[in-house]
Amino acid sequence: MSACKRVQQWATFARTWHIFDCKWQDPYQSAGVIKKYLMGMHKPIYHPLNDCGDVVVCINSREIALRGEDWRRRAYFHHTGYPGGASWTLAWELHNKDPTMIIRKAVYRAMQGNLQRRHTMERLFIYPGEDIPEDVLQNVTNQIRQLRLVPTRLDHIPEEEVKNYPKVMDYPEDYILK
Amino acid sequence: MNKICVIRRFIPLTTKAMKCYPTTVQTQKIHRWVAPTLMELKVREKKLGGKKYSPRNTYLEWNLEAELYAFGKRLNEDFDSDLLLQAFTDRSYVIKEEQKQKDLGIDIKMKDNRELASNGEEFIKNYVQVYLETILPRFPLEGVSGVREHLISEESLAHVSLHLGTKDIILAAEYPVDRFILANAFKAIVGALLQSSGDERAAHFVRDFVIAQLQGKDVNEFWTIDDPYEMLTNILKKEGATLEPRLIGEAGKNTILACYRVGLYVEKKMISSGYGESIKIAKEMGAREALKKIFGTEDHMKPNFQLEGIPKPNTNIRYQIAAS
Repeated sequence: MSACKRVQQWATFARTWHIFDCKWQDPYQSAGVIKKYLMGMHKPIYHPLNDCGDVVVCINSREIALRGEDWRRRAYFHHTGYPGGASWTLAWELHNKDPTMIIRKAVYRAMQGNLQRRHTMERLFIYPGEDIPEDVLQNVTNQIRQLRLVPTRLDHIPEEEVKNYPKVMDYPEDYILK
Repeated sequence: MNKICVIRRFIPLTTKAMKCYPTTVQTQKIHRWVAPTLMELKVREKKLGGKKYSPRNTYLEWNLEAELYAFGKRLNEDFDSDLLLQAFTDRSYVIKEEQKQKDLGIDIKMKDNRELASNGEEFIKNYVQVYLETILPRFPLEGVSGVREHLISEESLAHVSLHLGTKDIILAAEYPVDRFILANAFKAIVGALLQSSGDERAAHFVRDFVIAQLQGKDVNEFWTIDDPYEMLTNILKKEGATLEPRLIGEAGKNTILACYRVGLYVEKKMISSGYGESIKIAKEMGAREALKKIFGTEDHMKPNFQLEGIPKPNTNIRYQIAAS
């Protein structure tokens, strides 16, 4: 193999690091997107037998948004293996215990159960907040687009700005707000 | 009505279930005596001094004249039959035959292929050089001679010769013939063609069988450049341009699988880019890529194996790398 062919190979199979902001994202829908990058399915060279998956860093996993009643209704099953060892943990309980667990389990479930799955999962880094180690952040060269727009909450907008915002009408002086 | 329907529906099912499918897959039966017998045969053969390959030309129905005629026809060339026979006669065969004749007390003169081979070699060398200079007009002479040395090397010529089917026709003292004899016979065939059909036919023969060996190969691989970056800066300096390397991409900086991409810029325009596991290597590969562009030997270059006639040498406008 000549030097040119060698570096061509090196560049083709280089692992790119992607960052994904989980804030206000549905973990089960995001899992499909994250899986695609983790397994390298977004690349033209993809093949189940070639190792071309990328690395994904998920941040703000504490801020994920579940659909409908899911926080209260969705249960995560675990069995210790001993008789009577089954347990069902509700999503909100699990999230309180480990804020990275729901997204991790969602990505794990999105992939097919084969021998490669656990190795692919090793390339997924999940951080509950925005603070991630500096050496990890230095590797990141791409951002995965969020599936949903994160709306700005009224109580997060500075009071000054809210006050100065042009209004259509004012409530009368004697109007009592409920 | 309903009853009939039910019955009809069940008929094919029952017949299917009645069918007998074989439960095992059929395999080839190799008897238990086959392996020990083959082993015993091998042992006996070894005791007699290994397997003997008898040359095709010792067979009873071997007709050298017909083979030589067919050889020419297969290649669509008109050889002079005496010259072709001479081209296939190796020096070792002549020595062996003379010894035999001396023992028998007769004397028949035989010609070997040394002279034809030297003529042919000279012709191949010159023609390949001129041809490469013509199809690679911007490639430096060092590179051209590297490619030429590869094409006229004993290994390459022996490969061509073997696959033209000379192995059994060659008259040599030993069998199977070694690479030197194969290559020598090929050169002699070119020499014979040169005498029987003239320059142009011989040139086209060399083009079709020797130069076509470049198909699918990278001509840059036959010439090693020690410091491509320095060579590129020197070339650009002559044209009054300065080279500026820029890091234009990186992946996994803190990992062992780090990959960098360096772009080389001249007057804010990218001329090439290279990849590598370190910035130094990426820069060097970028320079190699730029040199390929300057020399007109990129990966997507189309090889030209169809030049007609013998091109005229023209070496004046080349980059003289050795001088710089």
